Amino acid sequence: MPEPVLSAGAIRKRFGHLEVLKGISLDAGAGEVISILGASGSGKSTFLRCLNLLEVPDDGRIALGGEAIAFKQGRRGPEPADRRQVQRLRQRIAMVFQSFNLWSHMTVLQNVIEAPVHVQKRPRAECVAEAEALLAKVGIADKRDHYPAHLSGGQQQRAAIARALAQKPEVMLFDEPTSALDPELVGEVLRVMRQLADEGRTMLVVTHEMGFARDVSSRVVFLDGGRVDCSGPPAEMFGAPPTERFGRFVQTHR
Amino acid sequence: MHAVELLGFGPAGWGAALLRAAATTVLVALLGFAAGAVFGGLAAWARIAGSAPLRWLADGYTTLLRGIPDLLVIYLFYFGGSAALTALAQAFGATGFVGVPALATGALALGLVSGAYQAEVYRGAYLAVHRGQMEAARAVGMSTPLMFRRVVAPLVLRYGVPGLGNVWQLVLKESALVSVTGLVEILRQSQIAAGSTREPFPFYLAAAALYLAVTTVSTYGFGRLELRTLRGVRRG
Amino acid sequence: MDFAFLGSTWLTLLSGLPLTLKLASGAVSCGFVLALAVAAMRVSGSRLLSGPAQAFVFAFRGTPLLVQVFLIYYGLGQFRPFLQEWGLWPFFRDAYWCALLALSLNTAAYSGEIIRGAIGSVPAGQIEAARACGMGRLTAARRIIGPIALRQALPAYSNEIISMVKATSLASIITLMEVTFIAQKLISQTFRAVEIFVCAGSIYLLVNVAITRAVWALEWWLSPHLRARPREPAALEAAHA
Ligand SMILES: Nc1ncnc2c1ncn2[C@@H]1O[C@H](COP(=O)(O)OP(=O)(O)OP(=O)(O)O)[C@@H](O)[C@H]1O
Ligand SMILES: [Mg+2]
Repeated sequence: MPEPVLSAGAIRKRFGHLEVLKGISLDAGAGEVISILGASGSGKSTFLRCLNLLEVPDDGRIALGGEAIAFKQGRRGPEPADRRQVQRLRQRIAMVFQSFNLWSHMTVLQNVIEAPVHVQKRPRAECVAEAEALLAKVGIADKRDHYPAHLSGGQQQRAAIARALAQKPEVMLFDEPTSALDPELVGEVLRVMRQLADEGRTMLVVTHEMGFARDVSSRVVFLDGGRVDCSGPPAEMFGAPPTERFGRFVQTHR
Repeated sequence: MHAVELLGFGPAGWGAALLRAAATTVLVALLGFAAGAVFGGLAAWARIAGSAPLRWLADGYTTLLRGIPDLLVIYLFYFGGSAALTALAQAFGATGFVGVPALATGALALGLVSGAYQAEVYRGAYLAVHRGQMEAARAVGMSTPLMFRRVVAPLVLRYGVPGLGNVWQLVLKESALVSVTGLVEILRQSQIAAGSTREPFPFYLAAAALYLAVTTVSTYGFGRLELRTLRGVRRG
Repeated sequence: MDFAFLGSTWLTLLSGLPLTLKLASGAVSCGFVLALAVAAMRVSGSRLLSGPAQAFVFAFRGTPLLVQVFLIYYGLGQFRPFLQEWGLWPFFRDAYWCALLALSLNTAAYSGEIIRGAIGSVPAGQIEAARACGMGRLTAARRIIGPIALRQALPAYSNEIISMVKATSLASIITLMEVTFIAQKLISQTFRAVEIFVCAGSIYLLVNVAITRAVWALEWWLSPHLRARPREPAALEAAHA
């Protein structure tokens, strides 16, 4: 089996007395689209945020393209041994947030070229050309000079996806990218994500969109109570739910 | 050791004098704050309910007093007051210069300045009072003055507590400026002591400490008051 | 009304304006740099840094500016031999530098809190997005947090600038011949307090109105994202047709 692009092993995380992640392992191979499902509060967001170290796990291993993140014991539990390494790895993992989190003082284009120009230090002209192509791809080329506040939710999320793509990431993390959208705007964002999946990008998607999980993803992972309850190809998972819990979850989320 | 003696309560010590001066500081600040409540209340009322000229006047007052150094206002009252009193005395046949009482001048000047800030606080608080509560008062048949006394004023004071706390701190600190009129409050007393002992540093440091003590106690007091008055009021 | 007197008084007072402006602009610039340091220390998350910054803010916001001026100008004079030894005496002997130092420290304490508040108001999600794409702390501060916080701090900060313009009047008490000093001298010579007050007051008001306007302009310039949506090209074409 080839080396997974992103590998997480036995991730644990607690907030105070609440143990949110009780040892979650997940490997994402190249081109895999993994849907992460689970009830509210089951730790989906926390797990995703551990993968790019927005939350520092209390225990476990994370490796990107074979490079493991080094931890050391800090005063308040483990912390990354080398902040530079974390910053370097984050450039290769892009994240799309539920609430878009576009930088409000920058235009759409400025948002998209920010990381390539100021983090990855690539030539500006090249980044602008790429950014324009990306904006065209997500269908908001005409909005390049608009500020986020002047866009609809769907347009903002598509801009955020373009921003993530501009990093040329090896893995993309999506945390409920459509949950903050009005129902009629969900489609336009899902369409873009579907297109990315078809291109063979490696994606980890936390979602409540059962349609997306069933039709687009190559694997479905169901979290429950901070553990992986079950996982498998969507056809098998949805065809015959392997656990009773997942069965009930599917029942209530159709 | 030396400083302890200077600031102590022994025969060579200035401790008692400094404490008395601190009481004067608090007194002039209280009077100034109270005068400011009158000016500020009137100005706020004029801005909310007054006719156009009244509104214009109140606007001018608050803008002016917040844009001009307070020291100038104190000079205006101190020298202007003296000049007016002297002229008045001369009209009655007296000769020579008549000084105005420093405490009154200081309190009036601080009142005028803090009134401009208090007006903003009262107006903001009034605007925060929900219309519905006034309508409810009308609905049970309250007259306007009664409604004002029983409903509006208590609510405005509640909402205004944090803002008034800030204004009070401002008045306390600005009261140091009244020392230029010769009123023996903390700073003036420290100047006197510093001059007669030729030890300015310990006395100005003591002055700073006294002000810090008063402002800290006030912060604590207003914090408590805020907790009390905000019972049942959701923070905006 | 004696217009000739008003006019000549106004011109006399105006001769103190350069010093007033020099003090105010000097204090605001030095104070801003110090305030950035204070705010950075306060939000650093390290007790070792935030503790001293908090004490500094507490001391300078809890005492009158005039006491701070006296403490620096007269109080430190008591340590003349020591200051001479360190070559600092020329600085602390000079009322101008002492006033500037006191004003700068004072505004640093107030502005530090304004900036800290503004940093705290930057939406956490936007900071997270910066971290998530691999930005280091400095880059995020410079590219994301700084610009958003600056825009947020402007209204409160413009009030602080105006406070500083007003506060320069305290320098008159340690014999600096700025506008208030001249006004006070004129009043004690002529006893025409009202006229002189009007003249001096109008000078300060003009300065403060100018500052308010300038900050408004800056605010407008810095917040295209809060202004109305730009017109769509299509709408423009339609308008031309
Ligand atoms: N920073 C935090 N501090 C304390 N508790 C937290 C924090 N973040 C998350 N939690 C808690 O951890 C648990 C898991 O949260 P998480 O956001 O990962 O759930 P989720 O599966 O993403 O839920 P949802 O579907 O509602 O987004 C919740 O109980 C939440 O309250
Ligand atoms: Mg979540």
